[in-house]
Amino acid sequence: MSQSRENKTILQLERVSRFYRTRGNVFRGGGRLVVALNEINLSLRAGEIFGLVGESGSGKTTCGRLIVRLEEADQGCITLNGEDITHLKGKKLRDYRRQVQMVFQDPYQSLNPQVTIADSVAEPLITNKVGSPLDHMERVLKVLNTAGLSPAEDYVYRFPHQLSGGQRQRVAIARAIILEPSLLVADEPTSMLDASYSAQIFEILQGVRDKMGATIMFITHSMASARYLCDRIGVIYRGHLVEQGPAEQVINAPRHPYTKALIDATPKFGRAAEVPTYGTLLAAERPATTSAGCPFFRRCALAERLLCAGTYPPWHQVGPGQVALCHLLEDAAPAVNSG
Amino acid sequence: MQQATIKDLKAKRRALWRQRFMENWRVFMHNPLGRIGISLLIMFGLMAVCSYIPPMIDPMYHPMTGVDPKVVSSVGPSWQHWLGTDFMGRDIFSQLLAGARVAFLVGVSAAFMSVVLGTAVGMTAGYMGRFTDTALMRLADMIMVLPTLLVVLMLAALFGQLSIWMIVLMIALFRWPGVSRIIRAQTLSLKQRPFIDAARVSGASHLRIIFRHIMPNVLPLAFLYMTFRVTSAIVIEAGLAFLGFGDPGTVSWGMMLQWVWKTGHMFQAPYWLLPPGICISLITLSFYMLGRAMDEVLDPRLRDETQAG
Ligand SMILES: Nc1ncnc2c1ncn2[C@@H]1O[C@H](COP(=O)(O)OP(=O)(O)OP(=O)(O)O)[C@@H](O)[C@H]1O
Ligand code: SF4
Ligand SMILES: [Mg+2]
Repeated sequence: MSQSRENKTILQLERVSRFYRTRGNVFRGGGRLVVALNEINLSLRAGEIFGLVGESGSGKTTCGRLIVRLEEADQGCITLNGEDITHLKGKKLRDYRRQVQMVFQDPYQSLNPQVTIADSVAEPLITNKVGSPLDHMERVLKVLNTAGLSPAEDYVYRFPHQLSGGQRQRVAIARAIILEPSLLVADEPTSMLDASYSAQIFEILQGVRDKMGATIMFITHSMASARYLCDRIGVIYRGHLVEQGPAEQVINAPRHPYTKALIDATPKFGRAAEVPTYGTLLAAERPATTSAGCPFFRRCALAERLLCAGTYPPWHQVGPGQVALCHLLEDAAPAVNSG
Repeated sequence: MQQATIKDLKAKRRALWRQRFMENWRVFMHNPLGRIGISLLIMFGLMAVCSYIPPMIDPMYHPMTGVDPKVVSSVGPSWQHWLGTDFMGRDIFSQLLAGARVAFLVGVSAAFMSVVLGTAVGMTAGYMGRFTDTALMRLADMIMVLPTLLVVLMLAALFGQLSIWMIVLMIALFRWPGVSRIIRAQTLSLKQRPFIDAARVSGASHLRIIFRHIMPNVLPLAFLYMTFRVTSAIVIEAGLAFLGFGDPGTVSWGMMLQWVWKTGHMFQAPYWLLPPGICISLITLSFYMLGRAMDEVLDPRLRDETQAG
């Protein structure tokens, strides 16, 4: 795929953690700490589509929200083009958001029901004071066409409830790309849509990458769509990144038991879906004795009790550009740099 | 862009708003309450407008100062005075028309002020949260538990006669907390909606989020509450006037009732007692019906949106 593209790192996450404190009772306390992200290391290369894959609740959305700075990381450091953006505030944050945009999971919720499509899409232009109102309309029409809503003239003066889910998601994409950001976070943009729409949305995202040169972080729970769209894939499990590498490799030769389980769960054509290829997922969770061990220990069929329950696994280099976080890869060389 | 495209777009925009208005209007008029309410209000509106006519025909029809020289005490309906005259020979019908004007003035302006204040406070408290929220809402609680009529009565007793604008201002100042509670609750839930996050990612400032994204979503509710506030403002003003604390320079329906009572015509002059009494009941009823019908317009749409999510 785009391995030949320039390999400049655009976005880097270094040991980024995010905790949520669930609310305790009146008497202060009882508040439990939920680790949504645990020391995530990631780097996105300019011009690639990076897939962040994981099951529901694994922290994918949290990761995206940290990147667009809707939330702040509790630990670690996020850099864009070498500049630390972890704790940006005020004007600098606003400038940063010109470069980094997000498409949200639910197109039924991410557009204001009382604002017309034209105004929604033009909003980034207005808040960033780019061009005149007439200019805005021209750019709105153009970007709507790019996002596959044509003729755009027919859609600009409608309210969101007058559009279908797929059309709304195109509007959301149009709004996200109108400033031509260098990084686009797409948070499960198709999970609320019919399958027929998904392919179209994927095509638009690909176009955004190819024509605008944007880097895309594509968040999904489906290995199938990650395979279709992504150059590289990172697999995340309960806030822990467990495997990362080129899409082809990760899907054809997964090394981490959780990645294997995800691929088992992907429906395949022409194959009996009931027979898992890898069978690495435990039917029933086993009780964990400590919290120090492998994050996947409770559901891993391959786990070795002594080793896996007690110590956090190290990163292993398991292929060209592919790393995995598991004890049972002792054959492979330990990775020096996990990012 | 081409001139033709721009024109076309402008037409589309007009069509969108027209369509939105027509849709709401249809739902509103479908409701019998809405139809009755609107008809009654149009009638009262006409009365208010027509209140300027009688004094122009003859100065003796002036509701406050016009006295029919041939009349020395209250008389019943006649060709000269359709509803009769009061104790000093003033025309009751023209007083009734002037009362409609005052009712609209007091009701709408007091309601408007209290709703603007309540909406602003509610949105600020809900959006800012934390200390601001707590402070504003405690203040609202304190004002809300005060019985408006009683407090205004005491103030009137303290400061002597209050002008009609002072009364309007008082009503507005005492009646915003209810509105602000509703708007705050709505703002709190809107704040959690993903489109607010989307606006933030688009670079919107807090002010822009409040005015461009939250306000359009709470305005219909605020407008609804305004109709109910109109009702309560009219009733409070009438109560004050009846108890003798109204603005002596204006002829309101409450004032007319006070004159009936003070001059001892309660049971002697039904032609004098009934019209203002009926008008007060009908105008509050019609604003109430208007509100209920509007509720129906807003409700399905609110339901629609939550279902879509
Ligand atoms: N505001 C919050 N307060 C408390 N806990 C939260 C909050 N947001 C997320 N979490 C928790 O953090 C974890 C990760 O959530 P996140 O939304 O990032 O998952 P996700 O991978 O996007 O899941 P999905 O596929 O369902 O969208 C979850 O366990 C969730 O319960
Ligand atoms: S370290 Fe052990 S428990 Fe964790 S994934 Fe590897 S085998 Fe499974
Ligand atoms: Mg999510």
